Amino acid sequence: MVKKTLEIYSVELSGTKDIDQTDKGDGKEKYRGLKNCFEPKKNHQKEELKKELDLDDHKLSIKELEKKYGTNIITAYLGCVLALVVILTGIFAYYQEAKSTNIMATFNKMIPQQALVIRDSEKKTIPAEQLVVGDIVEIKGGDRIPADIRLLSVQGCKVDNSSLTGESEPQARSSEFTHDNALETKNIGFYSTTCLEGTATGMVINTGDRTIIGQIASLASGVGNEKTPIAIEIEHFVHIVGGVAISIGILFFIIAVSLKYHVLDSIIFLIGIIVANVPEGLLATVTVTLSLTAKRMAKKNCLVKNLEAVETLGSTSIICSDKTGTLTQNRMTVAHLWFDNQIFIADTSEDHSNQVFDQSSGTWASLSKIITLCNRAEFRPGQESVPIMKRVVVGDASETALLKFSEVILGDVMEIRKRNHKVAEIPFNSTNKFQLSIHKTDDPNDKRFLLVMKGAPERILEKCSTIMVNGQEQPLDKSTAEAFHTAYMELGGLGERVLGFCHLYLPADEFPESYSFDVDTMNFPTSNLCFVGLLSMIDPPRSTVPDAVTKCRSAGIKVIMVTGDHPITAKAIAKSVGIISANSETVEDIAKRLHIAVEQVNKRDAKAAVVTGTELKDMSPEQLDELLTNYSEIVFARTSPQQKLIIVEGCQRQNAVVAVTGDGVNDSPALKKADIGIAMGIAGSDAAKNAADMVLLDDNFASIVTGVEEGRLIFDNLKKTIAYTLTKNIAELCPFLIYIIVGLPLPIGTITILFIDLGTDIIPSIALAYEKAESDIMNRKPRHKKKDRLVNQQLAIYSYLHIGLMQAVGAFVVYFTVYAQEGFKPSILADLRVEWENGIVNDLEDSYGQQWTWYQRKYLEWTGYTAFFVGIMVQQIADVLIRKTRRNSIFQQGLFRNKVIWLGIASQIIIALILSYGLGSVTALNFTMLRPQYWFVAVPYAILIWVYDEVRKLFIRLYPGSWWDKNMYY
Amino acid sequence: MSQAEGGVVTSAFILLFYLVFYGFLTAMFTLTMWVMLQTVSDHTPKYQDRLTTPGLMIRPKTENLDVIVNVSDTESWDQHVQKLNKFLEPYNDSIQAQKNDVCRPGRYYEQPDNGVLNYPKRACQFNRTQLGDCSGIGDPTHYGYSTGQPCVFIKMNRVINFYAGANQSMNVTCVGKRDEDAENLGHFVMFPANGSIDLMYFPYYGKKFHVNYTQPLVAVKFLNVTPNVEVNVECRINAANIATDDERDKFAGRVAFKLRINKT
Repeated sequence: MVKKTLEIYSVELSGTKDIDQTDKGDGKEKYRGLKNCFEPKKNHQKEELKKELDLDDHKLSIKELEKKYGTNIITAYLGCVLALVVILTGIFAYYQEAKSTNIMATFNKMIPQQALVIRDSEKKTIPAEQLVVGDIVEIKGGDRIPADIRLLSVQGCKVDNSSLTGESEPQARSSEFTHDNALETKNIGFYSTTCLEGTATGMVINTGDRTIIGQIASLASGVGNEKTPIAIEIEHFVHIVGGVAISIGILFFIIAVSLKYHVLDSIIFLIGIIVANVPEGLLATVTVTLSLTAKRMAKKNCLVKNLEAVETLGSTSIICSDKTGTLTQNRMTVAHLWFDNQIFIADTSEDHSNQVFDQSSGTWASLSKIITLCNRAEFRPGQESVPIMKRVVVGDASETALLKFSEVILGDVMEIRKRNHKVAEIPFNSTNKFQLSIHKTDDPNDKRFLLVMKGAPERILEKCSTIMVNGQEQPLDKSTAEAFHTAYMELGGLGERVLGFCHLYLPADEFPESYSFDVDTMNFPTSNLCFVGLLSMIDPPRSTVPDAVTKCRSAGIKVIMVTGDHPITAKAIAKSVGIISANSETVEDIAKRLHIAVEQVNKRDAKAAVVTGTELKDMSPEQLDELLTNYSEIVFARTSPQQKLIIVEGCQRQNAVVAVTGDGVNDSPALKKADIGIAMGIAGSDAAKNAADMVLLDDNFASIVTGVEEGRLIFDNLKKTIAYTLTKNIAELCPFLIYIIVGLPLPIGTITILFIDLGTDIIPSIALAYEKAESDIMNRKPRHKKKDRLVNQQLAIYSYLHIGLMQAVGAFVVYFTVYAQEGFKPSILADLRVEWENGIVNDLEDSYGQQWTWYQRKYLEWTGYTAFFVGIMVQQIADVLIRKTRRNSIFQQGLFRNKVIWLGIASQIIIALILSYGLGSVTALNFTMLRPQYWFVAVPYAILIWVYDEVRKLFIRLYPGSWWDKNMYY
Repeated sequence: MSQAEGGVVTSAFILLFYLVFYGFLTAMFTLTMWVMLQTVSDHTPKYQDRLTTPGLMIRPKTENLDVIVNVSDTESWDQHVQKLNKFLEPYNDSIQAQKNDVCRPGRYYEQPDNGVLNYPKRACQFNRTQLGDCSGIGDPTHYGYSTGQPCVFIKMNRVINFYAGANQSMNVTCVGKRDEDAENLGHFVMFPANGSIDLMYFPYYGKKFHVNYTQPLVAVKFLNVTPNVEVNVECRINAANIATDDERDKFAGRVAFKLRINKT
């Protein structure tokens, strides 16, 4: 292409040499601009030398001059158009490529500004980047940890590791070594995590890129961006089209040479054939189509960062989903209650609106009082109009859950707390593992103080001697203790965090109203209390997730949970959302049910598997492959960022297209490695969003399903678009081949071809992107990466050899009609090429004995171009209609459901009308005003195309699996 | 049925399908072409909108419309002479007398159909002798090519049912294209005199009707062209209904050619 452009310029440069050639009646202008490039060299060099200087440009007016060089401008025109196409296409491609992932930049933003360091026995505040290994730093609540530090001394320090490990709860830190795994041990503070409360002193052990998070960052940026499936498909398509174009080109080059055409002419034929075969408008069409879908998805809360990822989601066969935030609501919520020897289920849906458990018991009255009073969390003021579940709370996750739970059931909690004035309080700490407060009651006749306590259930039970059943205190005997343990184990087994609640009315005689409580000396009883109940909390699944998981299942997509959380919790959530379906068991479950050892269980019996990071670490890649193939329902728990990457790679080894969801920094390598990385828009860290191809604006797993649906639809529709675009290539190519072999006057020019490819065809092919799905696309398997190609043999053959040929024949009929009615009957046209194009022959005889000058013929030739163009255009209308469906009848699909198609057809007709009647006088465009009746000559062929395709579809529907179905369905 | 057999059966089906399909397509093409050709008459074309202005052309027809004569080099013009001999053969008086009518000059030779096909139509004589010095009959100078005084023949393109001149006399004139060309061109004579074309040769009724139609010619004999210089000559037809100023079609009602006489 570049070479061609250069040649065009060379025409302009050598223009002055052509003067007298133009003078003689510009006899040299040939059917194609390109030819002129070579003409001067061929015919004039020799004369040039003999001739004296013969310049007359100075005598001409500018207008005349332009006229004189008009032919050269026309010649350059084609070159300019082609160059423009190349440049625009290049810009499109660049625009798509030029989305750099500045992950490292995001990590840089995390650097805390200052660090408090002890150097030379002096406390100094220095910029964090000046820290070196061995520095002693101090951190306190609210600080960002400036480097990886080994903690030396700790006072009640808790850190938020969520960005690193995905654990949503604050993690306590201590100076003891507690775990082999560096990510699990408590004596390490990680760079970029936040210290939530307490203080700590530590020694810097790693800085910058060598920190854990720095390693993740380099891991993420080191992971190469895989080619998207659609890019692979388009490449495959380009290979097909390129292969066809070049092989036909070379074949006809050889034919042309053996037909004694000039080698230079043959090369021009070769280029012409390649131009006719390349669907110039396709890249733009694909890009527009993808961005239309991207827009549609953005409306459904899927923000697509990389356009090509739109389709990737559609071909996804495995989704590796993070748990926290994606599958769950990412907030602790009361899930179960146990009192009166009974487990009650609380509503965990997003708005808590439907609390149906029995609230008539006296025990509930007491329990609710404890829940309300023994709680330090408060709503931030000024949120009266906000729904309770959405209000911002000051306090930790469990307390928040309890506060909201009681607010929903009891009403204004703050008011209740005000009426039951708090006189003393011991906050929760990890040594005593309970929280206690003493209140005045709101009953004016009851002067007793109420002591309420909550904490770890076993600790609370130790402190109790009685238990409340149905509002009555009863001694705590063995059987009730047994019942407590059963309930505790059951709730714990659900992966829920269980809290115990108890209370005691302090006798009024011992503790009069004026009694002064001292929390340090504990001058009040903390044993022999009355146990009231248990309450368990969980981060519950989003209500839309189970449905979405089911949809994924029926769409043949395997959903794998990958989480940093504990296996029990992970499994419980997996079960509740259906990632582990209700009737499938893990090996451990079977062992438990049959009371046999885990090793004895036949692994084939288990459909589900829960694998922890520690187990994963010891697995070889082969074992991982085996695990991934053998189990349909898999949960990975306690995984590290590297392991997420290993899991993704394992899935990709199965030839699967893998989608990964994640929000934390720890997820970014896996997001990058995945075929499509999906980051959470609300909870997601910047690093995750940068590494991802797609962002879920509502953090909702269900949105992925929408994305899958859109992705599959776009794949189908792109198939239709390409089939539509390819069809007319044959109709554009055949004229050229026949021109070479039979020697007809050229039926269609290169510029005219470009006007089809980049003009009339563009909007209809985009309109196919608006086509609705033909059947339930969510009920079929994801496409196989290697087998279900975008452009397959059937599509190419049907478009090229069936519809394309019909179009070519139809267009030729229009062409012959124009020539015959003007005087050149088909019989005379054969082998006319050389005379026809010879500018010296100005008395060429037609079928009636009339004689034509070169320009008169040229004009007729342009009319032929226009006629051929109109012929193709009319049949492309039928083509776009038949491409609406691949299997169903158009009438099943609804002829008018996709309004954009009709807009496309209208645009096609209008562009053609403008080209013929509006620009018919611009000779450079090679269009002429066509007689109205010629617009209808190809209509029978358009109808034939429609009928033929309906018959094809009918047989496909009637005989599924037959040779017809196999060869005609694309 | 084995897999191989199944494959063969499928291939056979596909082959059969393509035979039927392409057979049908060929039939459809033939049918539509036949229907289309029914709209076209054998005698006159359906449309003539492109041929409102007949073009002019010269004989001898050379590669780049340049008549180059090296007087001393016989081979340089011999082929022109051969071509002209052949071209002028049908104009021989004997042939003309045998085939064509003697028409009344100065008016169109109309042969209307009047409801019945008047076929074939008669043509008027154009005798080679009318070309005078350029007739080449008994001419030792070979149309003047051997003496550097070449004849160039000008003819007007045939257009069916075209009444050239709109009932007024018309003639061909030649000039040097630019001032220096006019100087170098020197004197020339035209045959028939004044380069006139008679109305009786019009209208033309088409190859099928007008079997022996003889196209009128105008011969120009250049007497003293400045030797060894290229001269641009332009000849045009002066007729009431033929425009000669079409900007795009350089051959509409006119013809330009180059003349160069090389003498040592």
